[in-house]
Amino acid sequence: MSRSLKKGPYVDEKLYRKVERQNEDGERSPIKTWARQCLIVPEFVGHTFKVHNGRVFLDVFVTEDMVGHKLGEFSNSRTFRGHTNKKEGIKTGK
Amino acid sequence: MPRIAGIDVPDRKKIYYALQYVHGVGPKFAKDILDEAGIDPDRRANELTESDISRINGIIDNGFLVEGALRRQVQQNIGRLREIRCYRGDRHRSGLPVRGQRTKCNARTRKGRKKTVAGKKGIKG
Repeated sequence: MSRSLKKGPYVDEKLYRKVERQNEDGERSPIKTWARQCLIVPEFVGHTFKVHNGRVFLDVFVTEDMVGHKLGEFSNSRTFRGHTNKKEGIKTGK
Repeated sequence: MPRIAGIDVPDRKKIYYALQYVHGVGPKFAKDILDEAGIDPDRRANELTESDISRINGIIDNGFLVEGALRRQVQQNIGRLREIRCYRGDRHRSGLPVRGQRTKCNARTRKGRKKTVAGKKGIKG
């Protein structure tokens, strides 16, 4: 279900402040964050985030097309290595 | 046979239903179009005059995305999701359901015909 319009978009405040500070300084260093549920707003474009996926931080470089999505959508939290091969009985693939 | 929005040729049905043979026109848009054109929805498609049909075509051309243009738009939206490497794009790429449905069973529309795996039920692990 989509979020109520009354509430407006959810943007992690701390993260937003960090981005704003970088925008003022013209600095572009990756920002580590756990805020996967944070919406990507236009101010984020051109920044790199390190988005936690439960195990590691994955680099997400935000482009214009990504506005309106959540940070977590770009940091996959599942590992799929393929299905079990019956003969060998072990996981195949990477 | 009336030609509406390019290739489509529905006939003998009420125009309200005939219009819905156009990709991108359902009950709602069919009604909207006929209201705007001032045509009785119960009239048969083959009873319409040339001017009725050209009026319908004019309305569709201005303001309704149908057929090829609509399909292209949909493909573009999917292409965008794929390109930005988001979760939904990944699901499109791997041909699995995109909206969080279960995949343990069912999901055959996305996954295609069942692929039988020998011995899947007997031996575990």
